[in-house]
Amino acid sequence: MASVPHITVVGGGSTGTGIARDLAMRGLDVTLVEKGNLTHGTTGRMHGLLHSGGRYAVSDQKSARECVEENFVLRDIASHCVEETGGLFVKRPEDTEAYFEEKLQGCRDCDIPVEVLTGAEAREVEPHLASDVDKAISVPDAAIDPFRLCVSNALDAERHGARVETHAEVTDVLVEGGEVVGVEIRHDSGPGKRVHGSPGSTERIETDHVVNATGAWAGRIGALAGVDVEVRPSKGVMTVMNTRQVDTVVNRCRPKGDADIIVPHETACILGTTDEEVRDPEEYPEEQWEVDLLIDELSKLVPLLGEARTIRSFWGVRPLYEPPEVGSTDPTDITRDFFLLDHDERDDLPGMTSIVGGKLTTYRMMAESIADHVCDRFGVAATCRTADEPLPGSEDHAVLDDAMQRFGLRSPVARRSSQRLGSRTESVLSRCDPNPVLCPCEAVSRAEVRDAVDQAGTDLNAVRLRTRASMGNCQGGFCAHRIASELHPTYDEPTVDDALAELVEERWKGERHALWGQQLSQAALKYTLQATTMNRDADPAAAEGDVDWDAFDAGDRPVADGGRGGVHRDDTDGGNGGD
Amino acid sequence: MSTPSEPPEDTTAAGASDDDWTYVFGEHGDLVGESDLRPGADSCYKCSSCDTSCPVAEVDDDFPGPKFQGPEQWRLKRQDDTDIDPSVMDCSNCMRCDSACPSGVPLSQMHNTARAEYVAEHLSKTSVEYWRNRVLANYGTLARIGSKVPRLTNFVMGSRLTRFLNDRLFGITGEREFPEFATETFRSWWDDRGGDEESRRRARQVRERRADSDPNDPKRVAYFHGDYSNVNTPEVAKAMVRVFESYGYEVAVPDQRCSGTPMFANGMLDDARRAAKFNVETFHALVEDGYDVVCSCTSCSMALRQEYPELFDFEGTDTVAAHTYEALEYLRVHESVREDVAAADADFPDLAYHAPCHARNQGLDRQAVELFGDLDGVAVDDVGDSCSGISGTYGWKTEHYDVSMAIGEEMFEHMEGVEGETGMTECPTCAMQMEHGTGYEIRHPLELLEAALVE
Repeated sequence: MASVPHITVVGGGSTGTGIARDLAMRGLDVTLVEKGNLTHGTTGRMHGLLHSGGRYAVSDQKSARECVEENFVLRDIASHCVEETGGLFVKRPEDTEAYFEEKLQGCRDCDIPVEVLTGAEAREVEPHLASDVDKAISVPDAAIDPFRLCVSNALDAERHGARVETHAEVTDVLVEGGEVVGVEIRHDSGPGKRVHGSPGSTERIETDHVVNATGAWAGRIGALAGVDVEVRPSKGVMTVMNTRQVDTVVNRCRPKGDADIIVPHETACILGTTDEEVRDPEEYPEEQWEVDLLIDELSKLVPLLGEARTIRSFWGVRPLYEPPEVGSTDPTDITRDFFLLDHDERDDLPGMTSIVGGKLTTYRMMAESIADHVCDRFGVAATCRTADEPLPGSEDHAVLDDAMQRFGLRSPVARRSSQRLGSRTESVLSRCDPNPVLCPCEAVSRAEVRDAVDQAGTDLNAVRLRTRASMGNCQGGFCAHRIASELHPTYDEPTVDDALAELVEERWKGERHALWGQQLSQAALKYTLQATTMNRDADPAAAEGDVDWDAFDAGDRPVADGGRGGVHRDDTDGGNGGD
Repeated sequence: MSTPSEPPEDTTAAGASDDDWTYVFGEHGDLVGESDLRPGADSCYKCSSCDTSCPVAEVDDDFPGPKFQGPEQWRLKRQDDTDIDPSVMDCSNCMRCDSACPSGVPLSQMHNTARAEYVAEHLSKTSVEYWRNRVLANYGTLARIGSKVPRLTNFVMGSRLTRFLNDRLFGITGEREFPEFATETFRSWWDDRGGDEESRRRARQVRERRADSDPNDPKRVAYFHGDYSNVNTPEVAKAMVRVFESYGYEVAVPDQRCSGTPMFANGMLDDARRAAKFNVETFHALVEDGYDVVCSCTSCSMALRQEYPELFDFEGTDTVAAHTYEALEYLRVHESVREDVAAADADFPDLAYHAPCHARNQGLDRQAVELFGDLDGVAVDDVGDSCSGISGTYGWKTEHYDVSMAIGEEMFEHMEGVEGETGMTECPTCAMQMEHGTGYEIRHPLELLEAALVE
């Protein structure tokens, strides 16, 4: 064994990137592998709530306490990922007084700072709340951007020497002599930054320890190593609204139930969610009734939602876990707590540890506990510093009130950019002049896109989740090609075209669940732009075989439309051609 | 009675805190606080029709256009954000974007609200710009003072020194000549003539004479003349009165304040609110008594019809809006004015007609040309659908003068291109621009109608 132990972390979500950062900061040699983009799994498919713990204050007080503790840690170390929105648990007339009191007491028991508001006071905070909301409990919920959080963790891990490989799927866990000794991965487009069209390759990574941080996919990695990891994936739908109907997290104050939360997130609101166990974390039905349920139920809290525009819906799978002997039948009964599975102790398979369960709010705490466990195994004495050292972007920095003048950006654009970039604002925005806005819906300028391209290669979905470009109401209709153009001339035309196609396809996945009303008009316009103006549905240049370019010029066909048809125009043009 | 309206009372904090904002997107009464127009962004699918219709964006590459000013900027806002881009002050409030939008985004409402927020949050109350804008926005108040001594005012305002100082110290362009004050205001003429009582008498006489009306069934209109036709062009207001009386209408001319148009355009929403409240109260009472409201200025009718309901929620706002008409429009709806004009002839110079943007927004851009097309003795040519570029107080500001003239260029060219060497339009400031760009005299359609129909 080398003097510095090498750890392979599998999974590029919040837990995996958090573990990679923690271990790298403690001086270990770390490789993180992720089969898709960072946040490809559950982390990229959540509603962005930074829990105050209020949600679990009645049913799961251990989780509630962890949440409130970590909530305040993340406000410090990840300030550029967190928006301090505050939260409300609102009670409607049909919700019981007893549960309201129980919730209040539970929050107090867990040291969650609370305040009781009358209905009128709650409406003063959130004017669109229904007029019959009786009262509310205010809690320190917040909104967090999971993409930015993971990217910052991964960036910092790299700064501390880690290697981060995305689009690198684990195809085998190598077991030799009853011990895990490494993993085999398949690079989609070769190691390093992803570039479309680069040939794939496989790689054997020999390692001293494998950390399985794949959440809902942990059973699959377990199976590759020959052990059972009994995750219970549970799907939930989230619907993205076009604007923020509320600026505070609004929860319904009643026992567990579907469709009971609205989270303001950047320019949008995200409605959540449902909870239904699924067999496979990738193959499950996405059904319209789930979206309808969200809108119907949550309109009872904020009536405006009933008429408001939705821009897309997406589903995520919770990585729930409970020891098999508990045997809950309803996924909502399964604890949100996390479990560290030491396969050496549990399955006599040294060299691998799995972490399952838990939630994004407590990702850092989970990472700390697994990093402690790994360090313990290898006798590394370094202690955890992730609760104190800010993530890249959240270091102390002066608030850039003058960003607009300095970088020539319109004031709301400057405001949104500097909120996304945090302490990196200056270095990112000063890199290009002129710096036009490429994505007007989300106020993303060329400088920000180029910065993301530097990190992510030709993967425009990775650019998207770093910048929010193409996440607004037109869903890339007006900006996808502008973003793709930034890849040129570093990358050639076919590569850029592939990258663009992938981004457009990804956007469509969520848009197709919002095809009514205004978003249907939007989709129709987008289709027209993409298919007709850009000819992306039948571009002859993209077709197999040779294009008969001559057919576009003179040709032999008669011209029937009165246009300037060329040399063979004859009587069929009705005599009014060429005017 | 019937003295010109008093200067605005100081309705202190108590008045300002009244919750009389309108909430277009929420349940009425549910919302507390200031108006939040973010939900209005839901209708925008970013097609950019508004941008391509914006006259300012057409000539000024630095202006981001109505799509940014409206739905994009609002969507990017959060509850406590006060970031409004200063470029909203470069919007001229022509409101063409409203008509251009295929999906009903309340663009001008968003612009008006954003501009008010910008002025409240970012424009120093001690700055020259603030006071210049406030003075321009409250032209009516100054005009009332100036019109008391019209000759002195005309002498002072017309002097080169005043214009030079206005330009350098105040940011009011020295390129333009101030409109002259009439030696007698419309209201003092009206009072001398016998006020509303005299109008009732005259209208009754006409009704007795006319076959198509019943002397005992009074037809009533309340005239919203606005400040300009009161102090600067009383001949327009008089023409309005004479034409309506000739159809047997009893005209009432109640106390009134500025419609608010220049206040919206300068982000002075508190001033506008005071003026609007007064006007709505006054005219609502008349509407309840069976009057319809008639304006001779298309921006005034626009304010009463669209901007009041979009921005305020006083009792009667919607009722007043529903009963407000432009003068020609009203006659075309209710009277045989088309046939009467077709049968008449007028001794009037040939005309180059420009439809104001605010007339266009009310669907009135072709009415004058259609109506007078049948009139013998006068050729009326439409000079096209471009904006005149002055947009009220906009083109008076030193920093906007060049943009204003660049927008107006197309209209000037078209005016030169038609037969007539006299201009015609409904809007007082379009008239200023037309005159400034061509040197033509500019008349109002009501003056032509008077020449055709009133002996």
